[in-house]
Amino acid sequence: MSVWVQVTDTAGAVLVFFGAAICLLGAVGMLKLPDVLSRSHAATKPQTLGLLLVLAGVALRLRSGMDLATLALIGFFQLMTSPVAAHLVARSAYRTGQIERGELLFDDLDAQLTRPDAERERERERDGDTDTEDGRS
Amino acid sequence: MSGPETVDRVLITAAVVFVVVAGALLFVRISRGPSMLDRAIGLDVFAAVIIAGLGAKSAFARDSFYFPIMLVLAFLGFTGSVGIARFIAVRDKPLSHRRPADREGKK
Repeated sequence: MSVWVQVTDTAGAVLVFFGAAICLLGAVGMLKLPDVLSRSHAATKPQTLGLLLVLAGVALRLRSGMDLATLALIGFFQLMTSPVAAHLVARSAYRTGQIERGELLFDDLDAQLTRPDAERERERERDGDTDTEDGRS
Repeated sequence: MSGPETVDRVLITAAVVFVVVAGALLFVRISRGPSMLDRAIGLDVFAAVIIAGLGAKSAFARDSFYFPIMLVLAFLGFTGSVGIARFIAVRDKPLSHRRPADREGKK
């Protein structure tokens, strides 16, 4: 019985170690990458994978009910809130033109922002049959 | 008996060192970020790294004293970067919203 307690403790310590290593990798990526969008790519690694590994390690080392519930809540709220912040930061970076447009392979949002006016005018010229979607796909 | 305890202690101490180094690198990024949005992302990751460090401390000492602080940081850590992205960054560099349309016309 004591052997399994030891194994669980060591597994928790290993998970905490790997979570902290992923946090360090994300911070190195934040320092190295050149752009707002690529930095937000690097920023998601400590926020989701590193933090969830650390929380799983803590949950393996503290094995009581209330602590597990609190750790699950911490992981849940982190997973809920970090995409909101990342989305707003990337949206603001796109809208204020602070991204490197030459580095992008695809820019679907550009077509989404510019093309609907032309599409709408073309539909208005076609005497308003609104349900034909053949030109768009 | 003392062998696995020593392994655990070494692993969690290394984890704390990693977290502190990550915080230092993020502090460099926050201090010299070219725009406010880089600082916003840096602050967001900094909150996650603080939560990870408090988790490592809790795993080391086996106490749950800092869990409410981690919960509040996970709950409210994104409000700062949302505020920056929503209000400060737009005022910081006021470019026109018509820029994709101009570029499309140029192509």
